Amino acid sequence: MNAELARIVYQNLSNVFEKMFFTVLRRFPDHDRVVAPAENYLEVAISYQGGRKGTIRFYFPEQLARRLTRNFLAIEDELLSDSQIYDMVKEASNMAVGSLLGDLDPEGSCRLGIPACRRCDNFSPVALAGEPGVCAFDSEQGMLWFVIEEICAGNS
Amino acid sequence: MAFNIMIVDDSETMRAAIKKVIRMSGVPVGDFYEAAHGREALDLLEGAWVDVILSDINMPEMNGMELLQILKNNEVFANIPVIFITTETSEVRVEEARKIGVAGYIKKPFLPETIKRILYGVLENAYAQRFSAEMADLDQKPTDNDGDF
Repeated sequence: MNAELARIVYQNLSNVFEKMFFTVLRRFPDHDRVVAPAENYLEVAISYQGGRKGTIRFYFPEQLARRLTRNFLAIEDELLSDSQIYDMVKEASNMAVGSLLGDLDPEGSCRLGIPACRRCDNFSPVALAGEPGVCAFDSEQGMLWFVIEEICAGNS
Repeated sequence: MAFNIMIVDDSETMRAAIKKVIRMSGVPVGDFYEAAHGREALDLLEGAWVDVILSDINMPEMNGMELLQILKNNEVFANIPVIFITTETSEVRVEEARKIGVAGYIKKPFLPETIKRILYGVLENAYAQRFSAEMADLDQKPTDNDGDF
């Protein structure tokens, strides 16, 4: 991912995660050299189309997903349900992509699809590291991976 | 007389969070109504009186813009103020919503204070007399810049 896009992605994700979920993300520029053991992740995919067209995917370590949900709902970890956690990562991703598209598509021609979430147990994100539209962010609960696959970048 | 509030969002978690923020805001609430999309909101409105609607835009079945359009074209529901709480942040979308008749626009991510401030403003505009009677004992309102109108 080029440096300018990575900066915009970080700025938007960081704003959403700190403001809504009290969770700090740090940039992790050397993600292509990361050695990460397989663990349980939640994948969220959101498509968008209009002036630009593509799909954005997030990979949340399960512990990070739990923390976001706990912080947002202000409830204890043992009271969390799977459906709340899935709902929350979809909402967090939706907010992040909406905010990001505000910068990438200031004319507002893009429409977001409905987020879809699935479990990826024993998943190693190292497989993603070589893809062109990838960046990663470090958090206290593991690394959040972000992948943008743009089919059509429009005129902007 | 307290205000009946409807929250329309396909995320149950987000509805719960918005409800919690409203409860903490001091607005006197009669009943909360919840819908997962515009179609469900319209069904609920057939059997319940609602004073204000807080709605997402991007939802399955019927999105928030479609819901707003239908409400504004219905003589019974046209005066119910609608506030959008949404990730759709472009000025084009805000302007589109304003033209249809949205009463307020809150951008996600939001601060709880933003919901409080905009909800107060919208209720005050729509129900001036009732609102001042209800809120007579509250003398301070928060301010920030995360929403419009």
